[in-house]
This record gives sequence, structure tokens and C-alpha cells, in this order.
Amino acid sequence: MSAFHDYVRGRTDDIPPGYAEPGMRLYRHLVYLGAAQLLEAHFPAVKESLGEETWGELIRVFIRESRWQSHFYGDLKDEFIIFLEQQAG
Amino acid sequence: MAGLGYRREMADWDISCIEADFFEVVPENWIRRERAPLHNILASNRPVHLHGVSLNLGGEGAINTAFLRELRGLMDDLHTEFYSDHLAASGDAHQLYDLFPIPFTAAEVRRVGDRIKQVQDVLGCAMAIENPTWYTNTGDMPEADFLSAVAEYADCRILLDLNNIDVNFKNHGLMDLNEFIRRVDLKRITYLHVAGHEFDERFGLYVDTHSQAVENKVRDMALQLNRQHKLPILLEWDNDVPDLASINRELACLHSTIM
Repeated sequence: MSAFHDYVRGRTDDIPPGYAEPGMRLYRHLVYLGAAQLLEAHFPAVKESLGEETWGELIRVFIRESRWQSHFYGDLKDEFIIFLEQQAG
Repeated sequence: MAGLGYRREMADWDISCIEADFFEVVPENWIRRERAPLHNILASNRPVHLHGVSLNLGGEGAINTAFLRELRGLMDDLHTEFYSDHLAASGDAHQLYDLFPIPFTAAEVRRVGDRIKQVQDVLGCAMAIENPTWYTNTGDMPEADFLSAVAEYADCRILLDLNNIDVNFKNHGLMDLNEFIRRVDLKRITYLHVAGHEFDERFGLYVDTHSQAVENKVRDMALQLNRQHKLPILLEWDNDVPDLASINRELACLHSTIM
């Protein structure tokens, strides 16, 4: 299963054995959308200052390195603040 | 009997004008939130059931008993014994806030079934598992057999999502509504989900967006199961939520008053 989630997180572009490429790309896209939509709503100024492309790359790094624990999707905003502090440090 | 998935976009609606017989909410959205809107619904003599998204039955992290105790508190507060989540993973050992496929294998039946038993032990009641949409998966069991085997192993209930069966059939061509339903023990079903979906040409797949009206085929099957087996139907509409009148029209189509 880890190969599956490594692909979804964008840690590898290798399709895990037995899975189809369009479906894997869709899962990666859905995870990106889920994080991007919530974070855009909470941090519009950060997105504005970075521009579309850099913002998108930041979200992709955030997902790639993610080890989210909370059952509550809204807690992603707190995870993102910690991530931004680490990036700055 | 027709219910509605209650979403925050509906917060401004007069609840008494929503022509639903029961409601369903996502517990993760309410465990830490002010619940007055839900108590308003209960005050109108209509039940509120819970449909979770983060249990991660297919994942590898330990089942979170602290979360389940909070969930049990919400169930008690709303006086409901109906809690469901997806027969899917919402991550690996961590959360990714989406729903990923569980390989359709006998080994996963036992592993995931044991996790469901743990959940039921903490909650002190049976839960229901929903058949999810999946976009690619592995394993050698037909999906309906996998679902049935997990439900039997864990002795849990099933929330049968007719839209997901239809989306999976359109995407994979494996099992249509009739064939799928023939393989499921209808006595285990709590109620039915219906929704709409869209084709996404970027991936060449139908995506379970809950953003459209219900297709005739799905609605007809829901009404048939409702008439023959008294299974309630619940409408999910989560994205591009239309106005109250449109939702009421859609609900009206799901009330099986016409035989």
C-alpha cells in the first residue's frame, strides 16, 4: 500500500503494480484539490503574494512531506502553519 | 422515505421547508461545532444520522479510540444509532482526506473486518460500511462479494450507495446495479445513497462529484428497493448545491408515493 500512497503524495511517479495510470493520476489530483481548496480559503494573502505557480508548488511539497494525523480536515490549516514555519526556518 | 445530506451551504434555509424525512451529517464537521442547527432538525421530529469520512478502515494506523469516544458522544447527543463510514482508506498510517481503494482480497476482508469489529466494540453498536467509488484497484474478488464478505465477517451493516455502483460500472464495466444488488444481503442494508456524478475528460473517468441531479437509472433502482424492501433513500448533494426549491424537487422524485 505504501507505493500507492507514495504516488498519491507525489513522492514517486512510478505507478504501483496492478493499478491503472488514469485512476492514480485522479487520486493525486483529488488529494491536491482537497488541500488546495481548504488552504486557499484560509490563506488567500499567502497565495496572492506567491502567485499561482509558486503557491501550487508549495502545496505539492506540503502534501509530499505530509504526516497528517487529525481526523478533522479543518486541522490542515494548523499543519500548514507548522509547515510554513519549517520552510522559513 | 427520502432523506437529505445536510451541508453548511444549507445553513440559511428554513429547515421546516426542506421536504426530507430524515437527515445525515458528516460527524467530523460537528464534533467540535455548535450543534444548534442539528437540534433544530431534531425538534422538527426528523432524525439526524451520521456518515463519516475519516475512519480510515482501510488504512494502517491504529483505530483512534479517542476519536470514537467523541463520535459516540455526538451519537448520544443526536439520539442516533446510525453511524457509517466508507469501506475505503482515507490515508495510510496518516490521513490524506480522500477515499482510497482497499484491494479486493480475502486477506483484506479479515484485516479490515477486524478493524470494523474494534470500532463496533468502542461504539457499543453496529456500524454501517458504504461501498465507495474507486478509480483503480487491485485484488481478485468481485467488488460486491468483497463488500458482502466484510459485512458478514464483521457482522456490520451496509450503507448501499447506488450512485457509486453506477459510477464504478461506467468506469470499469464490471458489475451493473442489478448484478451488484443480487450479490448483497439486503437485510444488512440501513439505507440507500443516491447522488449525481460527472465525466472528467482529463482522466477519462466518471468522478463521484455529488454535484448533479440523480440519473434516472439510479433513481429507479432506489425507488424499486424502497417499494420492495422498505429501504429509505438519502440524497447527497455536496458541490454546486442548488437552491431549496431544486433540492425539494429532487426529494419529491424520491418519495415513492406512486406505485
